[in-house]
Amino acid sequence: MFSKPVDLVGAAAFLAFMAALPLVFQSNYLIGVLTVSVIYGIWAVTWDFMSGLTGRENFGHSLFIGVGAYTAGFMNTSFGMPGWWSLPAAMVMAVLFALLIGLPTLRLKGPYFALAMLSGAVIMQRLMLIFWEHTGGEEGINGLTPLIRNQLGFYYFALATLAAITVLLLALARSHWGLILRAIRGDEATCQAAGINVTFYKIASLMISAAFAGAGGAMYAHYQLQVSPQLFAVVTSITIITMVYVGGMASIYGPVGGAILLVLLTELLRNFGEWRLMVYSCVLIAILFFVPGGLVAPTWRRIKAARGWGP
Amino acid sequence: MLEILIVGAVSSAIYAMLAVGFTLIFGVARILNLAHGTFYALGAYGAYFFTSIFKLPLLPAALLAVALVAVFGIAVERVLIRPMRKSQLAMLMITLAVALVVEQALFLTFGSEYRNVPAFVDAKFTIGGVSIGGARLLALGVGVVLIGALWLFIQHTRMGSAILAISQDAEAAQYMGIPSDRIFALVMGISAALAAAAGVLAGPFLTVQPTMWLLPIVKAFAIVVVGGLGSIPGSILAALMLGYAETIVGYLISTSWTEIVSVAATLLMLVVRPAGFFGRRASF
Amino acid sequence: MNPLPVVLNATHRLRRSTLWTLAAVGATLGLGLAAGEAAAQAKAIRIGVPTAMQLQVGRDTQDAMKMAIDEVNAKGGVLGRKLEMVVADETENPETGISAIKKLTADEKVDVLIGGYTSGVTLAQLPHISAAKTIYLNVGSASPSTNAKVKTDYDNYKYIFRVGPINAAHQARQMTGFVSVFVKGELGLSKIAIVGENAKWVQDLVPLLKKGATDAGADVRATEFFDSQTSDFSPLFSKVKDSGAQYMVVILSHASSDIFAKQWHDARFPMPYGGIDVKSMDGDFCERIGAKSVGEMAANFAVRAPLTPKTIPFFDEFRKRTNRAPVYTAFGAYDAVHIYAEAVTRAGSTDTEAVIKQLEKTSYIGIPGTIEFDDTHDVKPGTATYKGPSFLFAQWRDGCKREVVHPKELRTADFVYPSWIKK
Repeated sequence: MFSKPVDLVGAAAFLAFMAALPLVFQSNYLIGVLTVSVIYGIWAVTWDFMSGLTGRENFGHSLFIGVGAYTAGFMNTSFGMPGWWSLPAAMVMAVLFALLIGLPTLRLKGPYFALAMLSGAVIMQRLMLIFWEHTGGEEGINGLTPLIRNQLGFYYFALATLAAITVLLLALARSHWGLILRAIRGDEATCQAAGINVTFYKIASLMISAAFAGAGGAMYAHYQLQVSPQLFAVVTSITIITMVYVGGMASIYGPVGGAILLVLLTELLRNFGEWRLMVYSCVLIAILFFVPGGLVAPTWRRIKAARGWGP
Repeated sequence: MLEILIVGAVSSAIYAMLAVGFTLIFGVARILNLAHGTFYALGAYGAYFFTSIFKLPLLPAALLAVALVAVFGIAVERVLIRPMRKSQLAMLMITLAVALVVEQALFLTFGSEYRNVPAFVDAKFTIGGVSIGGARLLALGVGVVLIGALWLFIQHTRMGSAILAISQDAEAAQYMGIPSDRIFALVMGISAALAAAAGVLAGPFLTVQPTMWLLPIVKAFAIVVVGGLGSIPGSILAALMLGYAETIVGYLISTSWTEIVSVAATLLMLVVRPAGFFGRRASF
Repeated sequence: MNPLPVVLNATHRLRRSTLWTLAAVGATLGLGLAAGEAAAQAKAIRIGVPTAMQLQVGRDTQDAMKMAIDEVNAKGGVLGRKLEMVVADETENPETGISAIKKLTADEKVDVLIGGYTSGVTLAQLPHISAAKTIYLNVGSASPSTNAKVKTDYDNYKYIFRVGPINAAHQARQMTGFVSVFVKGELGLSKIAIVGENAKWVQDLVPLLKKGATDAGADVRATEFFDSQTSDFSPLFSKVKDSGAQYMVVILSHASSDIFAKQWHDARFPMPYGGIDVKSMDGDFCERIGAKSVGEMAANFAVRAPLTPKTIPFFDEFRKRTNRAPVYTAFGAYDAVHIYAEAVTRAGSTDTEAVIKQLEKTSYIGIPGTIEFDDTHDVKPGTATYKGPSFLFAQWRDGCKREVVHPKELRTADFVYPSWIKK
């Protein structure tokens, strides 16, 4: 996709739009919502890179997010390291966990893989609660220092990170990497017979997905200034999958739109009071039912096709 | 020891009722129905609703609740799931959205606080020195009867053979003249009815809140995968394992560790034997 | 390149369903935004309410606040300005809680925040409340940590006050009094079991309780924690029974008190239980579980009894307005509004610094007792000489009525053992 100038223009326009929004609306609240949505975007993009391409749906993505966030939490509060050390540390820990859970579950697919990853996340959540003396239990770790004090500054940092990660993963997806991952989804046995090191690609894609998700987790921790076990929850993983779905599976850039859309939706519906989540769920059903291919990526593709801008 | 045996049996029975329905609809229609827990919740709330608001006696209220949930399940399958049949993930997502909508509807209608589902049997029984509530024993008994009846139905009736045929190869079955769409609806109805019955039976001694659908579906998912997707005996066996594992850990160690032990056991099972106990294959 | 024909052309080719869905989504967002543009009264004092809207505690917080606001406005408001309320759902999730604070402070620009329920959420919100330099009156969370920073980092955290409930450490001390004076002293049961849920504030409280009880001469035979998600208490009950305890002291907050009570009753568990059971503070709790909590003794911050001149009128007015009995956050919410109104009146303005100074001097007769703050802006609990908020232990009786049994001075009926326990 990124070889085409029209996509470049589209992406730049989107980025400019996102950067301009807080300047137009001048609201700390909106900046906060957008920052959180951008971080969810990072998580959604990383999910799509692994699960969207290989077709092995990961129902435990929250594992890497939580690991990254808790690493940031411990490093910042227990070890007193400044926030910028959290990001690489979170990535390292997340990759370690990816290896830990990824290697034994290599041969699993479909619901089996989904459940195995989900189990991993649930175990970590439970452990955080069981060892509450060290992890703060359900109150989590509080009192982290912010990465960038200025709200707008942090938002731009998060946006830039999202853009960088998306570009990187898109490039990988368009390269022979992506080709192989998609081939693995198609027919793994044939790939193996063709001499491709399927194991390497599966594990590597999980590690890459985990690394950036963990980085996102650390950023989240330093923005919310707290870490809680709810990050490991099933609900978190499912929320991210929903975002990818609404954005358009396997498109890499679609989930960005999906994440921003759904986070904005949950927030902007606050004026419905008690009915907020009900309206949200109904809108979700409508989207899932009427537009099963996703909203963001297919829409962009159709716009391009209609205008004749190329595939 | 006897206490563990009996309490474990009751837990297993409830889990089995949930898991069998879940695996049935998956085995037959390849639907991973995340709204399965919702049927469980609706069964319990239905019993509450008909007894408190409509003041019906318990048995008719329970039967009515189960019947309505079965119809609801069939409707959901027909209207929302069937158009999504091309993609497993699509069906999963839409059933999830249904679960969310129903949860919110329950919040808005009944409020967040627990509701009372009356029990058929309130007395306490003592078996071998172990005191156990009547409602639990009833859940165990009815669970066993219902699953047994289902098993007999599938093995010994024409409809049951049709169901088996569809679960083995849906296309071939259709070529043989078996109406797969109608079978899907039937199976969905049975599955929903089983879950609703579990809700009615467990409601008196377990929690009845709008969020009560999530934990059962996560457990049912784990049980069904460990037992082997699509295999009823597998689900029953896995339900027994989970029920007893949780009970034993709860008694011997602490209830804080029950969930982690069962989840770790699930993970171990997946790593060692991906297809589950009686699963046919590890992938699709 | 003229974008308009491009867009028009493109939309022709977009599938109709996609268009409709986009339109629906857009309309919903628009409706949401529009619904929020309430007529802004330029001079009103705005109170932001972060609370768990879908839960009973949230509903009662709002209803009690509305009551108090109506009362204040009927008397002309505060400094000639009316009070108004803006609610934001904080759920039980810290993420939603933080964005609720941001919405109220940055978007709605409220003058004060009154609300709170889950300690984890409140703790997560604190740095953001501090950054917004807005006063926060806590009415629901009990963890002592929420006020810890008031003393250690006054400049940044002076905004935080707790009007209710009394914090977990104070609750532990009052529970100890319950155990030593009532359970051991009056009932003569010295062997107890302590059962608590796995919430951090409980885990902090139990060691204090255990020590206090032991010092008072009780014999703590078992201490068990269980997960809030536990649905089967049989293993727990079994351990407690085997320990030889005679009374089960419970600390329950988010856990499934309903299942606990139901299963205790169904198994005809051979010992009475009582303690802190937040869900059981709810007037409808007993009915909702088919009267299975009859016999339980639950701590309450207030019941319909003349604790102060305000108590009974509040209960009656609340019942009249909402047709239900209030849960504990209602007391704090009602009192907080009046306390804030009085502080602003004394300060002569809504300037945060001035109001904080006045809040610190608060001595207000509230619903559970006299409300005053200590040096961490935390409400002072009642003692033998000071009529601050204290625990009352009420027992559920036949017909789902509640009678205050402890402390003796407020007793309305004597303790009765559950029907299946022969004593």
